[in-house]
Amino acid sequence: MSATGRVRAEASAAWRSFARRRTAVFFTFFFPVILILIFAVLVQTNPGGGGLFAQPPGYYLPGYLAVVVLFTPLSRVGSEVARHREGNRFEKLATTPLSRSEWLLAHTLVNVAIIGLAGLLILGLMALVTGTATLALGVGNLALVAVFVAFAVALFCGLGAVLGGLADSQDGVIAASNTIALPLLFLSDTFISSDMLPAWFRPAMNLSPLTYFARGVRGLTYQPPGNEVETLATAFGQTWEFQLGVLVALTLVFFAAGAYAIPRTD
Amino acid sequence: MADVLVAEDIRKSYGDATALSGVSLSVGEGEVFALIGPNGAGKTTLVRALTGTTEPDSGSASVFGTAPDEADRQRLGLLPQSFDPPERLTARELVEYYAGLYDEARDPEEVLSEVGLDGDDSTWYENLSGGQQRRTCVGTTLVNDPDVLFLDEPTTGIDPGGRRALWSLIEELAERGTTVFLTTHYMEEAERLADRVGLLADGELAAVGTPSDLVAEYGGRTRVVVETDSDEATPAEATDALAGTGFEVETGDGRVTIGGVEPEDIGEVVRALNDAGVAYEALTWKQPDLEDAFLRLTGRSVVGGAGGGAGAVGGESDVEGEETDGASAGDTAVAGGER
Repeated sequence: MSATGRVRAEASAAWRSFARRRTAVFFTFFFPVILILIFAVLVQTNPGGGGLFAQPPGYYLPGYLAVVVLFTPLSRVGSEVARHREGNRFEKLATTPLSRSEWLLAHTLVNVAIIGLAGLLILGLMALVTGTATLALGVGNLALVAVFVAFAVALFCGLGAVLGGLADSQDGVIAASNTIALPLLFLSDTFISSDMLPAWFRPAMNLSPLTYFARGVRGLTYQPPGNEVETLATAFGQTWEFQLGVLVALTLVFFAAGAYAIPRTD
Repeated sequence: MADVLVAEDIRKSYGDATALSGVSLSVGEGEVFALIGPNGAGKTTLVRALTGTTEPDSGSASVFGTAPDEADRQRLGLLPQSFDPPERLTARELVEYYAGLYDEARDPEEVLSEVGLDGDDSTWYENLSGGQQRRTCVGTTLVNDPDVLFLDEPTTGIDPGGRRALWSLIEELAERGTTVFLTTHYMEEAERLADRVGLLADGELAAVGTPSDLVAEYGGRTRVVVETDSDEATPAEATDALAGTGFEVETGDGRVTIGGVEPEDIGEVVRALNDAGVAYEALTWKQPDLEDAFLRLTGRSVVGGAGGGAGAVGGESDVEGEETDGASAGDTAVAGGER
């Protein structure tokens, strides 16, 4: 059995385990629905009005995607690592040919599939609720967004594995992932634009991997009134290619750290 | 017989707690080796050292002549203690899942049949009985047809019927030449399955040998145990009654233990008690077993707490809180002895 076969076996078991938890499935996909309902329907945007949600609706697509790209893999992989450890599953896997990186890759693929579906749900709901006037949703753009989503999910799967390796219980993983995810979500150019933050803090946004995801996806999909897509793609000083490059590099680092953090011994 | 597993002076501590204090042993190819000890004796730590899932503080372990974490994983099988596989997969899916991790795997159907779970395709693991769950877990260790199988307390928590079924399976594996390293705190399990037994207490290996050799060397003599009634005077009466028989007599915990009694002597003991008018509730003749050997060597029972200590004639263990498989083969109970 090749590495591909081992990853397939692990991913298949992980997918079935997820799909058979009806509560988990429901809330995984209810999360983006309620997100759109609250922010796009109830709060709505107020272009030019100042304050939060002052940008056209299309500006916030990266934010909505960032919520599922960040929270879901972080908590799911972190909890899975803790669950595996509590059930002595890693102890058994350590005596099989499955490597730690293969294990993490399998669970990353499952999360990419889950979050890909959730992302499609977000796109569909946004198109339905806010229209597509401020979104550039060509096939090429969507394919590139999928690439951004896949790498960002892999990155946060790696971070989740690190948390799972460090925390001593599932409760600890959930608490740690919430503590990390909340500031990342709001300080990564997702819902709150950089000009709303103090000038001295703005360089710190570059430390968040999610910033590159949000800026890259926005560069690809946001089409503000006046059709200034060309301008926007370089509005943050770098193109989406640059954002993707940084994201891929960070993903490799976080994935490697996550694979290393997965416990093999006690 | 070439040594497949070797542990040399392995020491391991967790903070101030010492798990292993210089354990050395070797297991030959095709041998069934049982490690006996109470909870906390260090059994699981030794299994982990031998499978490479813990790093000893000092000493070394080897499997097939190499470090455990470098051993050919195709040839190893492990059932960890308290193993909890993905609970929403069926037994078949679990066996197929673990089979998918190996380069060469057995037909999952054949494995399921071997562990007696080939009839149920729809029940999730979490809904199986305790015995079925454990058999499923054993099945996941057999998918790669391992040359060495580590079973860490494989029958803990399952009913006597399930336990016997697993014993039969392990015996079949041993007949096929699989080397089995087994940990248990069930004496009858070790006596039935093991070619050799290691007695582990407080991280130290007290003795290693065949079950019969250990019992012969450390188990003490045959004996009769008399369960007296609640009257505190009764044990003393029994001691007086047996004074002229020439047997060693000890009392404690409402029991009178008469050492050195062979089957043909039981009548003499009963007559002496009856003639003296001693009231008793039960009288049991007992052959020495591994529990006695363990008690004599370590001063404590495998399952219960401290026992009578080395040198105690009786050495009856305080077995409590554990489901046992009935009286051991060497016990003969004589109930209703009270007049």
